[in-house]
Amino acid sequence: MSALHEGSEPPRHRGPVRAPQSLAGGLLLVALAALALFLTRDLDQGTLNAMGPAMLPRWLAIGVGLSGLALLTAAFLKDGDLLERWSLRGPVFVIGAILAFALTIRGYSFGTFAIPGLGLLVAGPLAIILGGFATPEARLRDLVILALSLTPFCMVLFGDLLNLPIPVFPQAITGLFPADWSQKAVLRACAALMAAGAVVVYLATRNRRPGPVDVADHSGRI
Amino acid sequence: MGDLFSNLSLGFGVALSLQNLGLAFLGCLVGTLIGVLPGVGPIATIAMLLPITFGLDPTGALIMLAGIYYGAQYGGSTTAILVNIPGEATSVVTALDGHEMAKQGRAGVALGIAAIGSFFAGTVATLVIAALGAPLTGLALVFGPTEYFSLMVMGLVFAVVLARGSILKAIAMILVGVLLSTVGTDLETGEERMTFGLPFLADGIDFAVLAMGIFGIAEIMRNLDHTEHRDVVRQAIGRLLPNRDDFRQSYKPVLRGTFIGAILGILPGNGAVLGPFASYTLEKKIAKDPRRFGRGAIEGVAGPESANNAGAQTSFIPLLTLGIPPNAVMALMVGAMTIHGIIPGPQVMTKNPTLFWGMIASMWVGNLMLLVINLPMVGMWVRLLKVPYRLLFPAILMFCCIGIYSINSLPTDVMFIGLFGFVGYALIKFGFEPAPMLLGFVLGKLMEENLRRALIISRGSLETFIDHPISAGLLAVAAILLVIALLPSIRKGRDEVFTE
Repeated sequence: MSALHEGSEPPRHRGPVRAPQSLAGGLLLVALAALALFLTRDLDQGTLNAMGPAMLPRWLAIGVGLSGLALLTAAFLKDGDLLERWSLRGPVFVIGAILAFALTIRGYSFGTFAIPGLGLLVAGPLAIILGGFATPEARLRDLVILALSLTPFCMVLFGDLLNLPIPVFPQAITGLFPADWSQKAVLRACAALMAAGAVVVYLATRNRRPGPVDVADHSGRI
Repeated sequence: MGDLFSNLSLGFGVALSLQNLGLAFLGCLVGTLIGVLPGVGPIATIAMLLPITFGLDPTGALIMLAGIYYGAQYGGSTTAILVNIPGEATSVVTALDGHEMAKQGRAGVALGIAAIGSFFAGTVATLVIAALGAPLTGLALVFGPTEYFSLMVMGLVFAVVLARGSILKAIAMILVGVLLSTVGTDLETGEERMTFGLPFLADGIDFAVLAMGIFGIAEIMRNLDHTEHRDVVRQAIGRLLPNRDDFRQSYKPVLRGTFIGAILGILPGNGAVLGPFASYTLEKKIAKDPRRFGRGAIEGVAGPESANNAGAQTSFIPLLTLGIPPNAVMALMVGAMTIHGIIPGPQVMTKNPTLFWGMIASMWVGNLMLLVINLPMVGMWVRLLKVPYRLLFPAILMFCCIGIYSINSLPTDVMFIGLFGFVGYALIKFGFEPAPMLLGFVLGKLMEENLRRALIISRGSLETFIDHPISAGLLAVAAILLVIALLPSIRKGRDEVFTE
């Protein structure tokens, strides 16, 4: 997982393309324009007097396409910038973290397969730890501590103090607490437990700080 | 004149209530707290913090949001001075001399003069808004759909001219932005456009989602590409209050910066961005010894910072009087107002005077708050800036997710910030600047609506845009600007301004 996937950095060759960045940009614009034209193909353009739904999108798409073509032409005529280096690791983990958050916060179902709503309690640490690995310098121990301390803070701030309609914990968890506890009480208890977990992890692994990068998680939860 | 004062006193009556003072304070504080994080500009900050205002009454919410905005602005300047990482385009200039001052152990003075200059600029800008608000609202009554459309065209041309890099790319970005705004149900016919049949796209793309993706998430991805070399100043921050010499050197730049910033801020099409650049260039031109600039000249912080803050504030004018958001931050304000059931535009002032004047008065209060809370808290910001990015960005990421989810309670919104984040990242890699796209998106819906109306009134004749004198004038200005920007000699000068 640690391998950094470098994007292609084309060597400056003396081919017909003199500005690879413009070429790529132009292609992107033309593709976008084609997509928009394709999507609006069945819509009515109307007349200037009574504009139809497709009038503006279609003309804009044509404009975008023309700009794209102009950029493409320029790429062959004028020297320009090379494509910058792309790294895959950053975007992959960041998007992965966002998706993980989106899928677990309220639950999501794809046909027969369903993810239960796990609330901020799970989605928060998931996003932090998964997202944290977007940089090669990531250290699991630090991320776990961060997740265990920041998540309860957000739970209390957004769920308790600000009363935002954000799911905080999976409903199944209420069974673990005395039946007469209110939702808020369960929330606070969860937050306190997590914060305590953060302290435990911090203390338990303190001596190993200069040690290997992937310190095991002793608290038994992620 | 009497009107002005009675209005302002009405406003201060609202803004100085204990609850609203508290909200302004809180807004400034959290705004600075998030805005100070490297790589988080005002747009991402506001989008992230928008949900915390949901539970408030509209006046309180807007006061708090304005506080968040100023806090984020000032937080960005703090980061620019202390770490040399400007959070957004407008603090790029501050970083030049501000960071040099910090390296010389004068970080405190740089931050102090930035705060004092901003406060002065904010005070003047508040008065400008209060004075111009009423007459400009009158102007809005003269404006029909034809004029509105032409005004927005002019705004977009401004944005093209002000964008960095290739003009062709900026035009393409504007067009893409307007194109994106047409996604969703057509208001007139009710037909779905470019939605892929997805129900959550039927209402169109949410602005906060687009902005958060393009400015929040894409920024994280971009920062991850560069191995981190953050040089947080190691020198002592030094005394905070500028001494007599500093004041003598900087009061004129502050005055000039305020003037430039306030005027440019009123222009539609994100004129405020130009303020700091213009102010810096001017100060450098008229300085006795221009070589001092870039080596820690206090004028290079005082002028642009004042221009920045004056512009940040006067950019409320097009929004409050005409209902046209001149930049992305104001578009987020539109979103926030709509959530609270207020439609921005000339009618706000007449229908809801306490809100209108309360908000204007709270702008001044917000500026005062910044001065009061930021200077003593500099030490805390420095400590925050020393947190390594590998720990900061996961936290930012989670805050973005929570923020965007809380706005509509839709998991798909969260997924879309990932998608738009990647799009923004790709755009940056291909050399496109995303800011004009966002402005195109902001104005797109309004433009289509007004274009349609104007054409219905004129029975389908495009000549209507030239027949109406105001509209013709606006379009002429737009055309002249575009031609000027394309002239080779001016283009060179423009490039110089931006590379400086």
